[in-house]
Amino acid sequence: MDDLLAARATMGFSLGFHIVFAAVGMTMPFLMSAAHYRYLTRRDPVYLELTRMWMKGVAILFAVGAVSGTVLSFELGLLWPGFMRHAGAIIGMPFSWEGTAFFLEAIAIGLFLYGWKRMPPWWHWFAGLMVGVSGFASGIFVVAANAWMNSPTGFDWVDGAALNVDPVAAMFNRAWLHQSLHMQLAALQAVGFAVGGIHAWLLLRGRAPDLNRKALKIAMLLGAIASLLQPFAGHFAGERVAALQPAKLAAIEGHFTTSTWAPLTLGGIPDAEAREMKGGWKIPGLLSLLAHRDPRAEVIGLDRFPRDEWPPLVVTHVAFQIMVAIGSLLALLGACHLWLRRRAAFPRWYLWTLVGAAPLGLIAMEAGWVVTEVGRQPWIIYGILKTKDAVTPVPGMVYHFWLFLILYLGLAAATAWLLHRQIRAAHSKFGG
Amino acid sequence: MIDLLIFFIGVSLLLYVLMGGSDFGAGILELLPAGPLRDRQKHVINRAMGPVWEANHMWMILIVVILFMGFPMIFTTLMIALHLPMLALLVGIVVRGAAFTFRHYDAIQDATSQRVYTWLFGLSSLWTSFWLGIIAASLNRGIIDPEAREVWQAYFAPWWGAYPLAVGAFIACIYAFLASIYLVGETDDPALRRRFLRLGAVFNLLVVAMGGIVFAASLRERESLATAFLRSPANLIVLGFATALFIALWRLVAQRRTFLTRAVAAGQVALILTGWWLLYAPNAVLTARGPLSFYATAAPPATLRQLVLALLVGSAFIFPSLYFLLRVFKTADGQGLHPPHSERDAKP
Ligand code: HDD
Ligand code: HEM
Ligand code: HEM
Repeated sequence: MDDLLAARATMGFSLGFHIVFAAVGMTMPFLMSAAHYRYLTRRDPVYLELTRMWMKGVAILFAVGAVSGTVLSFELGLLWPGFMRHAGAIIGMPFSWEGTAFFLEAIAIGLFLYGWKRMPPWWHWFAGLMVGVSGFASGIFVVAANAWMNSPTGFDWVDGAALNVDPVAAMFNRAWLHQSLHMQLAALQAVGFAVGGIHAWLLLRGRAPDLNRKALKIAMLLGAIASLLQPFAGHFAGERVAALQPAKLAAIEGHFTTSTWAPLTLGGIPDAEAREMKGGWKIPGLLSLLAHRDPRAEVIGLDRFPRDEWPPLVVTHVAFQIMVAIGSLLALLGACHLWLRRRAAFPRWYLWTLVGAAPLGLIAMEAGWVVTEVGRQPWIIYGILKTKDAVTPVPGMVYHFWLFLILYLGLAAATAWLLHRQIRAAHSKFGG
Repeated sequence: MIDLLIFFIGVSLLLYVLMGGSDFGAGILELLPAGPLRDRQKHVINRAMGPVWEANHMWMILIVVILFMGFPMIFTTLMIALHLPMLALLVGIVVRGAAFTFRHYDAIQDATSQRVYTWLFGLSSLWTSFWLGIIAASLNRGIIDPEAREVWQAYFAPWWGAYPLAVGAFIACIYAFLASIYLVGETDDPALRRRFLRLGAVFNLLVVAMGGIVFAASLRERESLATAFLRSPANLIVLGFATALFIALWRLVAQRRTFLTRAVAAGQVALILTGWWLLYAPNAVLTARGPLSFYATAAPPATLRQLVLALLVGSAFIFPSLYFLLRVFKTADGQGLHPPHSERDAKP
């Protein structure tokens, strides 16, 4: 592994790790607040128990999210000083707002976790809600920073330096809206399904049926609504990518030659040597239709780009297929949930399906980020700066990679073990 | 604009050292043998740190963000030359945050896993404070060389040596000192109070001793802290004042004036930090190729304006809520935080 590859891999897994906790941190507080609201209005102790159970999950996952996020803010400089030298001043703005939001989030979580007997109940509830609100806001800010890397604006690039920097224009770049919309829905959807799946499994095991049913309904309502909206947001993202980053779109679809009536390929593997898609099912005109709202429209192919500016094709294409397949499936399941929601008991087949679907949203989210980030290669700032010119000059990045990989695997294992103990303890308390 | 940002960095640094620092110190104290007091001490520390450690930790992130947005040159120079100590620091931060939270929220609190968490928390607290000190010392040695190519010269020499090691140990002692003084006011248990007072005295002496060693070690440096200090009368006054406060401190301790004791200890550390800061401001880093000053490396004005705006608006929200947080948890009794979810923790 050379230094550049090691740095890319390190960035990839640290972000891939952080995003899981970030998504949880943006969504769980809302679920928790919903349960807490029910408790405060109906005084049903089951809701209190549920709030506390989720709260402990939030506390653990939040801490892991905070430390892994801290690592990221250093890694931007440790791995990509050549990037931060230019980009820091341009996209620091969303990061600085993100910092503000985190600060409020950290304060709010302290108040919520420890404030049960120290604050008036509704103030305390509000603190819990604010954890979610500020987490959600910080998610939007940080994705806006990422969107700038895909659609850089707000500066003039003269002789390898950025002049006339306009941080406001940079923050509201042309990709921020579709990316943050899609990402925030993804977080709600992925965590909604993950939590729903866990409670479905507990229901199947016959544990605390009342509590788990209530939990499942709260989580899945959010998940179902998000999953029905997500294909529209995804389609919107696709249109914007077609306009802003034609090379990425071509890589996503394995579209080698610029053409009208461009086909959409389901499945298949792009072959860069032969310059064609191997296998897969082609639907003529559909790509043109989706990208430009007209089946006859011309879609730019990889032939318009020099070979060394192609993103890695197989990874991008496969990741995209995974995301869309899951997105379609979850949308179906979401509709199914809205339909079954009012039943007195959920059918067992449905519960089993939810158990199976639990990890899917998170997988789609990771796959989507792979599409975005790998599909931007070889650029770190699209069309402006190459990743290889941004990497740190420090040698021996492989050691950095292994050190952090081991650290993160250990942390992931410890977190999983802890959550497992959490669920076990909660249920031995309830019996069943 | 730039002055305001320097001010924000200074304030964040100060608050990080004072508030985050006592969290680190608490971890260090838990490494020391405590005999039968061990569990009670753990309980007090959990209660004192639990609600605030996330917020305390944010000061550091704020510094990082201000640096990379407002002063990208400084940020990238440090991240290249100090890559290794930064890595060490990050490993410590990850282990520490995880161990502290896991210890508190592990649903099954058996002795073995609690011991492992405590041990990891303590060790990583010591480790992280130590590397923070090393990084702080490396800023002003004049060894960082952005143009160095040779591996030792570029990536090891900037932070290697007796002086950074001494500063690392000095910072760890300061943190432990802060934590001891601070924890005295967090408990009514006489045995624990006695323990924290004793530890406070020990670390007080250690701070003074380590301060001397830092001075001595710095005499062998190219850019010497000690000579810079001796050249500047204002700093000597600051230092003299910090030392004089020790007398006031122990008188207040004797009178059991919790709040004032804390304030004086914090004041001392603030004075030490201010002295150090004044020595170099407005230079952030002294490199082998000359100083990197905040003024010379600042981002374009449009960026600085946005950064200041974010900080001001942020402060308008952050400071009141922080005040609220501290008021909810840190006033009056310093006792009695027994949220319904942790009756279990309340047992000794
Ligand atoms: C639960 C997760 C999830 C689901 C079900 C989907 N996506 Fe997605 N997708 C993401 C989660 C995601 C993401 C992780 O959130 C990404 C990465 C960056 C971003 O802004 O969103 C993303 C990126 C992303 C991009 C690239 C955007 C860019 O680079 O600017 C496109 C074109 C799509 N998606 C399209 C779709 C379509 C057509 C879907 C059909 C259902 C879909 N996504 C479902
Ligand atoms: C949290 C979700 C994210 C995931 C899972 C993710 C994933 C990845 C992956 C896999 C890479 C390596 C790509 C390659 O080199 O082939 C990468 C690179 C990178 N990402 Fe992201 N990313 C995420 C969000 C972000 C955000 C929000 C930012 C910054 C604002 C960001 C900045 C970068 C940078 C600077 C690189 C390195 C340069 C490059 O490879 O182009 N990423 N990311
Ligand atoms: C380069 C990319 C990123 C950096 C530098 C970064 C930085 C950070 C930092 C420093 C924290 C800790 C805050 C604390 O101590 O409370 C954090 C937490 C968080 N991050 Fe990230 N982050 C990145 C990517 C992302 C992405 C892509 C998202 C979501 C879309 C995200 C959402 C969050 C959220 C919601 C939290 C709150 C903690 C939690 O709930 O787990 N971050 N991040």
